[in-house]
Amino acid sequence: MKTYLGIDVGSVSANFVLVDEAGEVLEAVYLRTRGRPLEVVQEGVAALAKTADHGAVAGVGTTGSGRVLAGLVVGADVVRNEITAHAAATARLIPGARTILEIGGQDSKLIIISPGGTVADFAMNTVCAAGTGSFLDQQAARLGIPIEEFGAIALEAQTPVRIAGRCAVFAETDMIHKQAMGYGLPEILAGLCEALVRNYLNNLGKGKDIRDKVVFQGGVAANAGMRRAFERVLKRAVHVPPHHGVMGALGAALLARAQTGPGARTGFKGFDLANRDYRTGCFNCNGCANQCEVVEITQASTVLARWGDRCGRWSRAPLVSGA
Amino acid sequence: MKPVVGIPRALLYWQYFPLWQSFLEGIGVETYLSPPTGRQILQDGLAALGTDVCLPVKVAAGHLLALRDRVDLILLPRLVSAARREYACPKLMGLPDLVRHSLSLPPLLSPVIDRYRHDNWPLIRVALAVGRRVGAGLPAVLRSLARAVECYRRYLNLLQAGYFPQEAWEAAGAGQAPDPRAPAGDVVALIGHPYTVYDREINLNLLGRLERAGLSVRTAEQVPEATARRAAAALPKHLFWTAGQQAVGAAFHYLEQEGVVGMISVMSFGCGPDSMTGDLIARRARRGGIIPHLSLTLDEHAAEAGVLTRLEAFLDMVAAQRERGVVVCG
Repeated sequence: MKTYLGIDVGSVSANFVLVDEAGEVLEAVYLRTRGRPLEVVQEGVAALAKTADHGAVAGVGTTGSGRVLAGLVVGADVVRNEITAHAAATARLIPGARTILEIGGQDSKLIIISPGGTVADFAMNTVCAAGTGSFLDQQAARLGIPIEEFGAIALEAQTPVRIAGRCAVFAETDMIHKQAMGYGLPEILAGLCEALVRNYLNNLGKGKDIRDKVVFQGGVAANAGMRRAFERVLKRAVHVPPHHGVMGALGAALLARAQTGPGARTGFKGFDLANRDYRTGCFNCNGCANQCEVVEITQASTVLARWGDRCGRWSRAPLVSGA
Repeated sequence: MKPVVGIPRALLYWQYFPLWQSFLEGIGVETYLSPPTGRQILQDGLAALGTDVCLPVKVAAGHLLALRDRVDLILLPRLVSAARREYACPKLMGLPDLVRHSLSLPPLLSPVIDRYRHDNWPLIRVALAVGRRVGAGLPAVLRSLARAVECYRRYLNLLQAGYFPQEAWEAAGAGQAPDPRAPAGDVVALIGHPYTVYDREINLNLLGRLERAGLSVRTAEQVPEATARRAAAALPKHLFWTAGQQAVGAAFHYLEQEGVVGMISVMSFGCGPDSMTGDLIARRARRGGIIPHLSLTLDEHAAEAGVLTRLEAFLDMVAAQRERGVVVCG
């Protein structure tokens, strides 16, 4: 049986999904990136190696902000952006989905799907993370609540308190004030969910035509309070798919499956890549006034790739073995 | 001896350079152009103007600083109005004052260009003022202005024939007549201010990336002004920014053209007019629902990764649309 591996390396989490030929999820691994994308890729592949059929992998896809690095290390057949990957996964799991609300650690996206199943429009958050998972994480930590229990507590609320949620810093100020006034914890948490939803829709939803079915995915979709807040604000049912936390990785696996037709050979470097010694380094190019910071990926003193330069002096140069 | 006049490679340069260059050359003035935007210019500009101005204005400050020790005068016209009953952006109007008070620069040559009430004669007045300042006589000024206007007209024709500014002003300077360039392949319309669309450092080489993806790029300046104005007349109210008129009109025009497979509105963070015109364009594009549209807002914090992710997703959207109805994945 052929299998396909999808890897989504994001800012907060790195996800790994193995699917079979029919696109069914066989295995899913969720890890924290901890700012070490290279290590976490090796770790994730090692975790899958325990149960996976080693000879069966017929295609690998990577996505997420670390997609190029991850793709290089694992030998990906497909390296695609998160938007296309998420849409591919949703189109498969929730037929008829027209709107995808995706909230991850530091990223949030709104994707509009055409009736034909293709991406018709999208928006991503810009420089502000006020409408993302990190915002909830921060506030949960301040209140001393494990993020896993956040949603259940928020659901207990009778009337959510209105929290000023335009900015994570000001939201905290307002929450302290509301606590001091004597509002209950569930009400404050539910208010925080609504503040995030308002933020998200103000930032990403403006001018977008939100239609049924609405699908909510990404790490934050695990929070039932957030799902209810979306339902209250959008006044319609919001679906949370199974595997909602690893949709990017699932999409990457499905894209790899679509790309590697019969007879195509995968570039996958094998499960033992976890034991190889990859390193990243960086140097300043002094070729011109731009002073690009060039990143160099090496394995056992062989340079695998370089990038980060604008002119191509390093990224297009033939690679030579180091000393 | 006539002074050396510096021209910052920023803002209005991207629109009027052939006019200025041809005129100054004609009256025998030596010009010095700041180098293309690079990291140093960007850093100097950001350090000099920490205020609430858009990235292109900060970049302009960097260019002005790059001219500082090399020229006697800096040409920095104060563009108030480029067309009757229309205005330029307030940051452009105030730019000479802003930089005069916050940077230490050589004297500025800042003629006021204000066509709000009268359409044509201020150009002569501007030319005379510049001529006086650099010690050129009346006959030379008039002769040179006529030649510069002619060169500028050639330049506009070249743009409309499908050339980009750099190649168009080289050709216009050489007196070349436009040789129409049909787009090779599918067209993506890249709409925005010329200084964001053509400055590769500001837009992370958007134009080059699109071309590398096998697409032909068309910009707002490549649509004749009259065509753009006719298309923009579809708005319920006349826009009073000239640049906005051109951007909105050109976008509306492209949305109706065969062969246009996508549109990108590239805007500057903190730009008031852009926030308005960008949205007008996005709404119109969405109403049609056929041509994929991407809004990109740029500033010095725009992470390359984020811009590239959006661009890639946009290109996927364009590809999916071209295959019409093919589902991204089974």
